[in-house]
Amino acid sequence: MIFLSRTLPLVIAFAFGMLGVIGYYVPHGDAQSLEREMALWMRIVFAFSYLLGLYSLLNLHWQRIRQRVAGWAYSLIAILSFAVMMVFVVYNDGLGPFTAQAEAGGYKWLFDNIQVSCASTMFSILAFFIASAAYRTFRARTPEAAVLLIAAVIVMLGRVPIGRELSDFFPIATDWLLNVPNLAAKRGILLGVSLGAIATSLRIIFGIERSYLGGGAE
Amino acid sequence: MMHKLLAIDRRIIFALVFLSVAGPLLAGISLPITPTNEVKAAYDQFEKLDAGDIVLVSFSYGASTQPEMLPMSRAMLRHAFRRDLKVVAICLWPEAPGLAQQVLEEMTAEFDLEYGVDYAFMGYKPGNFSVILNMGQDFHSAFPQDQWGAETGDLDLTRGLRSLRDFDLVLDLAAGDSIEFWWIPYGQEKYGFTFVAGCTAVMAPDLYPFLDSGQLGGLLGGLAGAAEYETLIDRRGSASTGMSAQSMAHLVIVVFVLMGNIAYFAVRRTSSEQRS
Repeated sequence: MIFLSRTLPLVIAFAFGMLGVIGYYVPHGDAQSLEREMALWMRIVFAFSYLLGLYSLLNLHWQRIRQRVAGWAYSLIAILSFAVMMVFVVYNDGLGPFTAQAEAGGYKWLFDNIQVSCASTMFSILAFFIASAAYRTFRARTPEAAVLLIAAVIVMLGRVPIGRELSDFFPIATDWLLNVPNLAAKRGILLGVSLGAIATSLRIIFGIERSYLGGGAE
Repeated sequence: MMHKLLAIDRRIIFALVFLSVAGPLLAGISLPITPTNEVKAAYDQFEKLDAGDIVLVSFSYGASTQPEMLPMSRAMLRHAFRRDLKVVAICLWPEAPGLAQQVLEEMTAEFDLEYGVDYAFMGYKPGNFSVILNMGQDFHSAFPQDQWGAETGDLDLTRGLRSLRDFDLVLDLAAGDSIEFWWIPYGQEKYGFTFVAGCTAVMAPDLYPFLDSGQLGGLLGGLAGAAEYETLIDRRGSASTGMSAQSMAHLVIVVFVLMGNIAYFAVRRTSSEQRS
């Protein structure tokens, strides 16, 4: 059992990690064919991960309904919404589930009129909460917070036409803030993240990092 | 007085934000919009193309960001079709097909375009960056059929496409991390195509290093980016209209932040004076 739970995953991680690196960097035809095959495999694995996600989501909400935890009614709505959408997807405007999705029909109507509207509304509500939160918490308590506050005010005004109407300073200062300090900070973060990702990838490929196997420390 | 100001009912803030957004929209206030360099760069990339060149448009956004992303999708597609460019649309985001279909139908009807000849819609494929790798190797393998089930090899527009290298321009309209973590490392860097992007306003500052490095040929950030693009193509749309509302909302938030700080420091000063 140790072979299946430990050794085999390590061998697979090493083999496919190395093949991924070879496929990306080696321009030889065989390496490119390999990369093509691996890209297809990845897509198949990715599609199966949706099933896992679906099971996880439905199971979570089902447990919340069964245990009558606070807000269980929302879980019921989530499951019912999923079921209704699923019915229309399978019905597919009379074409059935084994043909390409119909251009119109119940699913399209529900998506355009409910999904889009609800999701856009949820996102729009953020504006109200951001305004309220900014008023209550955005304080220049320290010199660093003061710099952040001044930069935020300049960028908020510089990115909209009214900033230019107030003063040419706002768009010019915004441009400088985005292209100099912001760019330098983002580049530093990106380099750090990339080096960290490379180091972690190498640790996984060579079996040093094994936390993905689960079961805690060996 | 200052204590009261600090403890202001948040419903008053909500009401003022609502009025700042609704007021300019209802009044139809229009403000002059000046395009920024990164938006001009994106526009120029389209201008460099010749009639008949093929643009790959990747829709990587969902319904929640549609108010920000739809105006830029509309403006850039309008620009492409106005210049007689061919468009192949794909989706790398599960929610995107319905949104892409909506804007494609609108734009292709406006220009009276023929499906399969002037544009094609390949639909959604799961796999994130692996779809990009797959397209780079073999476009037909990544998308064997279009959204409606027609064979990719049967459509005039897509028949001859073999790889990402066959596209004259790639445009990613994204609300997630597809620009920096999918398209640039697995697409642009590997296959060297010209790449421009449109994204939500909150994502835009993260992408400046790629503009500076030349990996990104132009960038539209949020509704402001879309409004600037509408100005460049000389066709005001919902983004330009929305900029007056966004301007007022930003102004209201800035005023609130400044007021909050004035009240905070006044109260702190009074408290320290009372203590001493």
